[in-house]
Amino acid sequence: MYFLASLLNRIIFSLVILRFLTSDFMMDLGLLPERDADMIMVEGTSQLCNDLLVDPQDVVMLVISWHMKAATMCEFTRQEFFDGLQSIGVDSIEKLREKLPSLRAEIKDDHKFREIYNFAFAWAREKGQKSLALETAIGMWRLLFDGRHWPLIDHWCQFLQVKHNKAISRDTWSQLLEFVKTIDPQLTNYDEEGAWPYLIDEFVEYLTENGCVQRRK
Amino acid sequence: MSSKKRPARIEPFRHRVETDPKFFDKSWKKLHDAIREIYNHNASGLSFEELYRTAYNMVLYKHGPKLYENLIETMTGHLQEMRRSIEAAQGGLFLEELQRKWDDHNKALQMIRDVLMYMDRTYIPTHKKTAVFDLGLELWRDNIVRSSNIRVRLLNTLLDLIHSERMGEVINRSLMRSTTKMLMDLGSSVYQDDFERPFLKVSASFYSGESQQFIESCACGEYLKKAQKRLDEEAERVAQYLDAKTDEKITAVVVKEALTNHMQRLFLMEDSGLVNMLVEDKYEDLTMMYNLFQRVPDGHSTIKSVMTSHVKESGRSLVTDPERLKDPVDFVQRLLNEKDKYDNIISISFGNDKSFQNALTSSFEYFINLNNRSPEFISLYVDDKLRKGMKDANEEDVETVLDKVMMLFRYLQEKDLFEKYYKQHLAKRLLSGRAASDDSERSMLVKLKTECGYQFTSKLEGMFTDLKTSQDTTQGFYGASSSDAGDAPLISVQILTTGSWPTQPCSTCNLPPEILSVSEKFRAYYLGTHNGRRLTWQTNMGTADIKVTFGNGSKHELNVSTYQMCVLMLFNSADCLTYNEIEQATAIPPVDLKRCLQSLALVKGKNVLRKEPMSRDISPNDNFYVNDKFTSKLFKVKIGTVAVQKESEPEKMETRHRVEEDRKPQIEAAIVRIMKARRVLDHNSIVTEVTKQLQPRFLPNPVVIKKRIESLIEREFLERDKTDRKMYRYLA
Repeated sequence: MYFLASLLNRIIFSLVILRFLTSDFMMDLGLLPERDADMIMVEGTSQLCNDLLVDPQDVVMLVISWHMKAATMCEFTRQEFFDGLQSIGVDSIEKLREKLPSLRAEIKDDHKFREIYNFAFAWAREKGQKSLALETAIGMWRLLFDGRHWPLIDHWCQFLQVKHNKAISRDTWSQLLEFVKTIDPQLTNYDEEGAWPYLIDEFVEYLTENGCVQRRK
Repeated sequence: MSSKKRPARIEPFRHRVETDPKFFDKSWKKLHDAIREIYNHNASGLSFEELYRTAYNMVLYKHGPKLYENLIETMTGHLQEMRRSIEAAQGGLFLEELQRKWDDHNKALQMIRDVLMYMDRTYIPTHKKTAVFDLGLELWRDNIVRSSNIRVRLLNTLLDLIHSERMGEVINRSLMRSTTKMLMDLGSSVYQDDFERPFLKVSASFYSGESQQFIESCACGEYLKKAQKRLDEEAERVAQYLDAKTDEKITAVVVKEALTNHMQRLFLMEDSGLVNMLVEDKYEDLTMMYNLFQRVPDGHSTIKSVMTSHVKESGRSLVTDPERLKDPVDFVQRLLNEKDKYDNIISISFGNDKSFQNALTSSFEYFINLNNRSPEFISLYVDDKLRKGMKDANEEDVETVLDKVMMLFRYLQEKDLFEKYYKQHLAKRLLSGRAASDDSERSMLVKLKTECGYQFTSKLEGMFTDLKTSQDTTQGFYGASSSDAGDAPLISVQILTTGSWPTQPCSTCNLPPEILSVSEKFRAYYLGTHNGRRLTWQTNMGTADIKVTFGNGSKHELNVSTYQMCVLMLFNSADCLTYNEIEQATAIPPVDLKRCLQSLALVKGKNVLRKEPMSRDISPNDNFYVNDKFTSKLFKVKIGTVAVQKESEPEKMETRHRVEEDRKPQIEAAIVRIMKARRVLDHNSIVTEVTKQLQPRFLPNPVVIKKRIESLIEREFLERDKTDRKMYRYLA
């Protein structure tokens, strides 16, 4: 969604620069630029999406990246790529394209979703950073919870932008999933003594103050 | 002729037993008549020996049962007669007659018993009959005391007399005593059933009524006096004419009716109740109340809770009153006065009761911490006491005051905040030379160390050490450079170790050339012996003594701050200077410079400078002149900048912010310590443990603890448990 769009803008810009700088890149399999013969980078990823007939913002890209245990968004090493294809059980782009619906469905599986969700944190991070930038995090959350129907997703994102404005820690990221899974949208079973991260406590306060939920204190 | 003599045999003497059919009747008649004479006070004409023998023979010849029966019959008959006589007695003579007849009966009974002693010892025990004397008592009981008329009349008479006495009349106490003794002699159950129980019931309703009346009309203290009086009366009554066991019971009745049932109302009585007594130090009333309510269930605990809420409430209004907050020293003095007041009450009226002392402590802890400036104010109070100006108070007084202040200190939750302020204030005291007595300062330090441990005071002690060392260094400086002395100004340098002293941002200041040269000489000297150190002059903390000759001829020695000295020295080479010129020449920051000039020019009695125009505030083009008309009674005039004051709002926020920042690492250290020891622990337990560990310094906010835990997770000191998200695990 939003984040990939901004990312793509950067991609295009760097693409232009790259064109000027490297006059002779060839693509092996139409995907790998010669310069970085062991890496699929940003533009390669974009090419891959084209070949798969998939929107770069499609969540299936995340699923595929997870299978590949990709370290960073929009980057695949040779090892990651081929190991990933193997784990998915395909050996060609066409077969991969056929597999897309079932890959997308993996989101629905609770166990796999949890793994994909927790994987997403490190994957979406900027290299060398410990925390996840807020904008990226919000984008990821929207992507992930879109199919899972968490009613409070909009409030959550709004709250973060208004009150928090800082990066998201790993603990907060993973605890949010617990929160979504165990606490009902009216917060009736939310326990203040529940050792939730501070940010989530603040979120509950925010919801109560704005009358989004009726909590009996 | 030898007649064989039989050996002598002793044969039992055989009476010729004459079974005289009339034996029993004759014998009995003798006894019967004798008894009659006994009851008629004619015993003197009888022969004890004969009667005894008669009875003896009767029992011997197996006439015991009949004798016994007849005895009962006879005595009953006489008792019936007595009864009639008693019943006939009118009014007040009733008890007397009863008493008289009782005496008679007792005497008769003794004689009868003596006469029938043989039967008492043989027939009666073997046939399990009641002994003669006891039999006599039982008969008395059944025929007299419990006869329908007498029973009622006796009880009513007794109760009426008691009532009259309670109402102030005088009654015949010895008669009462002998009557109740009679009942006791008849058996304690007789006493209890026939007298004591109804007595208690009647007393209960009497006191219930009286208390109700009193409580409507009396103030609390008065009521208590009356209650005490009644209790004393009843105790005396029991001692005089009731059985001792009744004491406890009647006391319980009075306590219940007069005190227990009206406890709440008494305590909460307006204008005279417990609260009023506390406020007005009515020691006598309070002592009475404490003693009386000892016997009331929950009496003391109710007093304690009323006292506690009162102290909390008055304390709370004291610390939140904006008027009081204007003068910190006064604020603390009032707290001390409050503490003294209640200490006195507890020691004088409540017998130094430990549980009351504890209740007082918790009340103080509660309200002192309602005002988050309490730590600062207490430090200011101590500062005030330790400055010069307390010379008139002797060492002992100061010690006592400091000890009392330490009590308040113990109540503080935020002891680390106090430490910060104490450090600031101590630094100012030491550097301005205004600490009155080194001994008192050190004594205070020792008290703090005893209370809080070594870390609390180690830095503070460092300050004292620095000053001592500085003295030695300055002496060394002058010893080494004696030849250069000349008319260079004398300096006394205090070298402060960074870290021991509160940090102050140092600002610019151009020292006058004379000062500059000698201070640079000192720097050179010092760095010569202490290689590798760095010295920075703290111009905002120094003082100077300047000799001034004014235009009108008066000479004075002024004690001023360094800034003020820089300003004044300018006037050695200029008569008039504008604010701007002064600012440029001295390079002192404007805020400080303005304050400095105000203290030199606008304070009555200390206006060594003159300002034109004479307005309060200082504008860039104002002109300053030396005030040639300056006079003062004293030769030495102090114009130092003011003593420490309570902080302004921004300063306060700054200090608080620093303290909060200091707390974070302490909290983290505590968390790590705990987790290292326990390995795995749940969230709430961590919060509890951390709070416990840090309690001597401050009360950590659970939200801050949570944030620190999250920070430690982020830095991989801890992790959440995989299965239970409320548990944390220590990562080695």
